[in-house]
Amino acid sequence: MSSSLRLLENEVQIIALLFMVIVYVFRVLWIARFKPTRERTLAAGGERQGIAYSLLNISMPWSMEALRKKPGFYIQFVIFHIGVAAAIAASFIIPYRPEVFRIKAVVLLFQVIMGAAFLVGLMRLRRRLANPAVRLISTPDDYFSLILVIVYFAAAMLAVPNRHAAAEWPLILFFGLTAFFLVYVPFSKISHYLYYPFARYVLGKTLGHRGVFPLKEAKEETALGPPKK
Amino acid sequence: MARRKNELPPALKSPLETKSQDRARAANLASVAEGKLKLYDPQADNVRKFLDLLEQKINRPLALSFAACVHCGLCAESCHYALARPEDPTMTPAYKADQIRSIFKRHKDWTGRIIPWWVQARSPRNDEDLNLLKNIVFGACSACRRCTLNCPMGVDTAALVRFARGLLTELGIVPEGIFNVNRDQWETGNQMAVTEEEYLETIAWVRDELEAETGIRGIEVPVDRTDCDFIYVINPREIKFDPRSLGDAAKIFYFAGEKWTLPSWGWDMTNFGLFSGDDRLGAYIAENVYQAAARLRSGRIVISECGHGYRSTRWEGYNWAGRDQTLLTESVIMTLIRYLQQGRIRVDPARNPEPVTFHDSCNISRSGDLVEEPRWVLRRVCADFREMEPHGRENFCCTGGSGLLSTPEYRPLRLEAAKIKAEQLRATGAKLVCTMCHNCVDGLGDVIKHYKLNLKVVQILELVARALTNKHVQS
Repeated sequence: MSSSLRLLENEVQIIALLFMVIVYVFRVLWIARFKPTRERTLAAGGERQGIAYSLLNISMPWSMEALRKKPGFYIQFVIFHIGVAAAIAASFIIPYRPEVFRIKAVVLLFQVIMGAAFLVGLMRLRRRLANPAVRLISTPDDYFSLILVIVYFAAAMLAVPNRHAAAEWPLILFFGLTAFFLVYVPFSKISHYLYYPFARYVLGKTLGHRGVFPLKEAKEETALGPPKK
Repeated sequence: MARRKNELPPALKSPLETKSQDRARAANLASVAEGKLKLYDPQADNVRKFLDLLEQKINRPLALSFAACVHCGLCAESCHYALARPEDPTMTPAYKADQIRSIFKRHKDWTGRIIPWWVQARSPRNDEDLNLLKNIVFGACSACRRCTLNCPMGVDTAALVRFARGLLTELGIVPEGIFNVNRDQWETGNQMAVTEEEYLETIAWVRDELEAETGIRGIEVPVDRTDCDFIYVINPREIKFDPRSLGDAAKIFYFAGEKWTLPSWGWDMTNFGLFSGDDRLGAYIAENVYQAAARLRSGRIVISECGHGYRSTRWEGYNWAGRDQTLLTESVIMTLIRYLQQGRIRVDPARNPEPVTFHDSCNISRSGDLVEEPRWVLRRVCADFREMEPHGRENFCCTGGSGLLSTPEYRPLRLEAAKIKAEQLRATGAKLVCTMCHNCVDGLGDVIKHYKLNLKVVQILELVARALTNKHVQS
């Protein structure tokens, strides 16, 4: 392994990761600077249940009508995000647990996951370009972030065999992109995963307090009458 | 001629009408003089004011809803405007929210401040831009919160729309119809400018009608009685256009042996502060109700059938007014359930033999807590109750919510979007559509008329009153 690749896999990644963590801390402080709201009404439901429901909402595709109508969209979402998790995991496994990728089955599994995610990424890009409603709301950042992730999946697929003796360029590409990601992500739409728990927490708290979350079927009526308020 | 791509529908190109504002200025109304009702000033730097207000009024939940959108476009699947106009991308909720989100990004978000074009962050340039924003947030969204519940990220687009409305209301950049109702609520304490004389006369008329209908002498519709079980707060529509509704309630309360009263002031539980985004107006109107309950030493506040009135009085009002809730505040539906459970009223569902379906008000089902409760009542007072699909939290808006009934300039677009509601109603095969919201009564009435549906709109109190079999007052 060349010294430049070693540097890229280790020190550069750590510095980029530290940068991302620092920027994220500032992001969280930025959110905290906005004044919070206070609920003054008597509750009709449970805030904790509402928060739990809201945070787990994404694992319950049946709870959202839009996803029930478009199950394919949800499957794409799952594959895409498993691909992201696999690619991030690969960026740690290659430098710190290289023996894992000496097992061919593991390499193949990662490649299948990231290959599927790569295809989903292309489908999402196509949708963003072809669907007039999505195209209208898309920003250059939306396109760039998506293309970046698609390229990242491709780079990760090539990198996971970790054969630096044969060719270093797939690893240089992968780790170069990882470092760029770590620096770029906090300023892009990809940082949505940072906002996700906060946004869902706030919504869950409000709607849980009001008894809207967890969503109930209108038909739920016991022999004893409607739920007590 | 075919509409150009991404061009807003004609209804959303309405100019800013200020005739009513000019009259309010000329009359030097108290609410104007006291700075409560804001008027448009073409000489002012409205863009600067708008940005200052944004800075002052933004809070954490709003900031998160601004920041969290990933532009997936899934919200288009749940919005009746987008579903009714699939060829029109400007109806996507994320697009509507982006009109205010882009301003937030330009002034609050790091990337938007440094490289605005990268995230399409921008500032309004002039009053024309603010007027365009007005048309989108007041004219193309009923703030039904359907997209909120269907957003994977938890973005509350309805809250963003209301926030934008509130900023524009502070500048007087509002549809004339909304301005007029705001003015009436500030000036008279109720949204239809009902005078005290008119209010008391109508109540007396309701009492006379009840006496004639039931043959019972001495039946009461009390006003300002102290130490009652509850004060009953109503929609001014019940005084102005539909006193039957108040009569039905009075009849049920009478047979239930209830000790109740109407207040002479603070009786309007509707609240245009919710629609115009004006939290001060919201606080003022809600506070009138809470103070009436305190003045009359009432045991609780019972809210008549009204979606936004329920939401405003039960939920938002306490927060707007900065008052911790100590008094029970409930919908009249909960009161009816108590009467039925305690056997204080008796009903016969055979008296409502027609097929009935139920329309959930957005403000009650998605921003409030009542979904099963109205059905519990309807199953006991109707012989043939059938659900519409979707229903409950997933029901579609009547299309008249959020002040849209007061804005004739947006009516063509509203009725076009109502296609979804019309199909939903038609599929039930019901003869009556019941709702627990006066606003929905008018909204659905418009849909039924426009789409020539063979349906009549009723309310729960009406069906319960019709099903009553009591002959004597229950102790």
